[in-house]
Amino acid sequence: MNAYTAHALINIKLTFRDRTVIFFNYAFPLIFFFMFGSLNNAERGGAIVTVLTMVLTIGILGTGFFGAGIRAVADREQNILRRFKVAPISPAPILVSSLVTGLINFLPGAVVMVLLSHFLYGMPFPKRWLSLFLFLSLGVISFRALGMIIASVVNSMQESTIVIQLLYFPMLLLSGATIPLSILPNWIQIFAQFLPASYLITGLQGILGRGETLGQNMWSAAALVLTTILALFVSMKLFRWEKDEKVPARSKLWIVAVLTPFLISGIYQSKSRENLTKAKLVERLERRGRTILIRNVRVFVGDGKVIESGGVLVKNGRIDHVYDGAIPDPKDVKADAVEGSGKTLIPGLIDVHVHLGAPGGFLLSQGDADPYRDMARELAAYLYSGITAVKSVGDPLDAILKVRRQVNSGEKLGAELFICGPLFTAVGGHGTEYFKSLPDNIRKNLEAQFVRTPQTAEEARQQVDALKKDHVDGIKAILESGMAGMLFNRLDVAVLKAISEEAHAQNLPIVVHTGAVRDVEDAVDAQANGIEHGSMREPIPQALFARMKAAGIAYDPTLTVFEAMQDLAAGKTDLLDRPLLQQVGPAKLLGGTKDFIRSEKSAKMREGFKGFADLAVAKQNLLHAWQAGVMLVTGSDAGNPMVLHGPTIHREMQLWVEAGIPPTVALRAATESAARLLRTDRRMGLIRPGYEASMVLISGDPVKDIHATENIQAVYFKGERVDRSELFNQDKQ
Amino acid sequence: MSGSAAAISVRGLRKSYGDFEAVRGIDFEVAPGEVFGLLGPNGAGKTTTVEILEGLRPRSAGEVSVLGFDPGVQVRELKDRIGVSLQQTNLPEKIKVHEALELFAAFYSRSTNADQLLDRLKLTEKRNVYYSKLSGGQKQRVALALAMINDPQIVFLDEPTAGLDPQVRLEIHSLIQELRAAKRTILITTHYIEEAEKLCDRVAIVDEGKVIAIGTPREIQAKTLSTAKIEIVCEQPIPADGLPPIVVAAKYVISEEGKRLTVQSTQPAKVIVELVKWIDQQGIGLADIFLKHPTLEDVFIELTGKKLRE
Repeated sequence: MNAYTAHALINIKLTFRDRTVIFFNYAFPLIFFFMFGSLNNAERGGAIVTVLTMVLTIGILGTGFFGAGIRAVADREQNILRRFKVAPISPAPILVSSLVTGLINFLPGAVVMVLLSHFLYGMPFPKRWLSLFLFLSLGVISFRALGMIIASVVNSMQESTIVIQLLYFPMLLLSGATIPLSILPNWIQIFAQFLPASYLITGLQGILGRGETLGQNMWSAAALVLTTILALFVSMKLFRWEKDEKVPARSKLWIVAVLTPFLISGIYQSKSRENLTKAKLVERLERRGRTILIRNVRVFVGDGKVIESGGVLVKNGRIDHVYDGAIPDPKDVKADAVEGSGKTLIPGLIDVHVHLGAPGGFLLSQGDADPYRDMARELAAYLYSGITAVKSVGDPLDAILKVRRQVNSGEKLGAELFICGPLFTAVGGHGTEYFKSLPDNIRKNLEAQFVRTPQTAEEARQQVDALKKDHVDGIKAILESGMAGMLFNRLDVAVLKAISEEAHAQNLPIVVHTGAVRDVEDAVDAQANGIEHGSMREPIPQALFARMKAAGIAYDPTLTVFEAMQDLAAGKTDLLDRPLLQQVGPAKLLGGTKDFIRSEKSAKMREGFKGFADLAVAKQNLLHAWQAGVMLVTGSDAGNPMVLHGPTIHREMQLWVEAGIPPTVALRAATESAARLLRTDRRMGLIRPGYEASMVLISGDPVKDIHATENIQAVYFKGERVDRSELFNQDKQ
Repeated sequence: MSGSAAAISVRGLRKSYGDFEAVRGIDFEVAPGEVFGLLGPNGAGKTTTVEILEGLRPRSAGEVSVLGFDPGVQVRELKDRIGVSLQQTNLPEKIKVHEALELFAAFYSRSTNADQLLDRLKLTEKRNVYYSKLSGGQKQRVALALAMINDPQIVFLDEPTAGLDPQVRLEIHSLIQELRAAKRTILITTHYIEEAEKLCDRVAIVDEGKVIAIGTPREIQAKTLSTAKIEIVCEQPIPADGLPPIVVAAKYVISEEGKRLTVQSTQPAKVIVELVKWIDQQGIGLADIFLKHPTLEDVFIELTGKKLRE
């Protein structure tokens, strides 16, 4: 047996014979585990990943600083190392054996806690167990190496105690190991990025909570590896066998040197905030993971069926159970209870037609606009209003991709965003008019973001493929000639066919903006998946609706925008006074819009909108579509003047009911059918087990009175009960 | 190696700790198979000297060779071939005796049979006992066992019996005498006179970092000016007049009503012969004779003016 194996084996035996080691390695973390577990109500879901991360991190801190650090000093102080000094060995076997022993001691406890998390608190088994194992091992080894470097630069037990407390307590209290980082002040969150323990927490949360791999935590792993190497190297060099050998006080600077990787990454992180973003995501997951039982509630399932008094159990972000009749005791299902009597639970509403890049109104000063911030805020306004998913059908590509990443990751809270990116239109077609008057170079840049104007079928296919590579969720094309006073070039039908074929080949749903009956016909011929607007000027023939039904093409009448255009032309602004809209604001936009529309400055614009759309015709077309059995979906075209982002679908459904559509049909269009057009009908649009728990709890019965959907009691988004009062404060945190 | 067959050779060895010079020029040689003792009071520089020889600390000056290796340079090679029992060392509390032996055996390129070693050191019964449960003597026997585990060519024993009670000390002595009989080269440091006299072939007396006398215990005694003490007890009073000239020339005292005569002389044998002849001539009955040789302690006191153990 060589010196390394022999020393490691004995060391392992010795630690297992040491009651204090057993206590601190196994009993102590378990006490914390159950304490944190019950403090965080971990049995009701959500918090267990955080609890487990905290306890594992506390364990690693303990094994590093006390298991390796204090122990190494004690061995030297008690003249045990002196005995080894006479043998022909270097410090290496002793250092390595300390690392190995720490690891072997730590891992069984970690396994026990993962098992307890699973069986007692319902945490899913870690998907990335190999990454978890490697990352935990790296954590133990690096912190033990840190412990050893401390032992190497102190001259006595007292000194080691002081140095260890100086490092241990900040890491225990300010890295998120005991107090969640997100509730600490901003400057502490930044400070935490200089603490190695924060990287353990970020990594463990990512791997345990979000199923990340070690590779996705390369930054943390690299810093830990570097510190380990540095610490081992310096420990070898400064190793002392006897307490009589002293080191000068300046040797303590080696600790700082060894922690350089964390100084560097701290600076990087305080700029990039990657880890803080990750922490937010984990916190989001935790909130989404709570177990909730909404009971004694009317459930509008989404497919038209209604349970008059039932219950819904939400677990791990999804609908776990829908009760029709007997509802279990919340304690038995370990859930927070929500009383639902007199209320109705409906699936989260969906708006399939918005433009986030436009505000929906007028600001007095353009300086108040900030596209990225505004888009995220608009999605928050939707979520506030119970609209849990929206589809952007034409927005600047880079900006909308960025917002989608921010919001759909959970970093910012807002309605789930589906995007088409730029619009396919003709040169000089609808969609290009906004940039016409701009200087050439600016216009070209904006057009590259906002429109695609393919001249040939081949070009069209390439452009669809390119967007697919950007991961858009669908394609939007425009067929619109306009009307007298507002004329547009119209996309070539052959090119549209190519766009549509390629979209189908790439498995992207394609929707087509239409204005006249001819446009609808051509879009149906081109096998579009959805018709946006239909026609607001001409009645659509029954035969065309029959074709749409046969082909399963969705019809999105966007009555909201036509009503808004009529009001705008008439100088009416009372649509802006709806209570929900007043709540989501923003006040400057609402005020600016009112002032502008009432002022003389908007006279020309008001004139231009006159006669553009006839709401009565649009309503009639919708009624006929329903009568023909066409699949109906709800969109608002928000972003257009007077259609502000927020409670859009509520107004849309009210207009539908005014048009003669039964409320049940309108609600189904806004939920199940809209989800089908988004191709997400396996996870949203219904209150059914396995579906995402995105639901709105409203007072009253929307089947009797569609206006009830505006009486929002609570919004649940992917399992999280949305704190609506905080939605618009997200940027301040 | 300088061609000399010495197991250990030390010339002009010096060691300073800052301003304090602990070793101030020490010279000695130890021959293979010899048991050599460094005798001196605490703080004389004995431990510093052996720890330099063991490769544990660097020297300030001088030439040192142990088994032909320079302990300041070929540390690994040297440590692999020597056995060391240090003062003030410990083993982990919960290590079992046999585990300690097996652990240390793994550090060396050669090792002896641990069970035989335990047997020889009367530790077989204790092989499964935790180190912390051992008595002081047993711990010292474990230390000896560890010093022997690599079948060393030289054994260094630094104060092997310090702090042990007399019974245990005798046990350790007999163990060292066994090693001596087996012709091991041993370097012992001690501040016990009788240990040095009893166990060592040769002794160097060290004080304040210097060797003040070196040789076999007998040689050292002989070289000194110390006198032997002869006591004669008679049945009748001894007449104070007419004592032999050799007695008169030396220091003498008559006591116990003239019946006891104490003489201090550098020629004790001659004094006894002359005195016995003279008493016989006087017709006095001789009751008893005592002869006390000077001890190393006396030598030390004579050389340094202080006692070994203060």
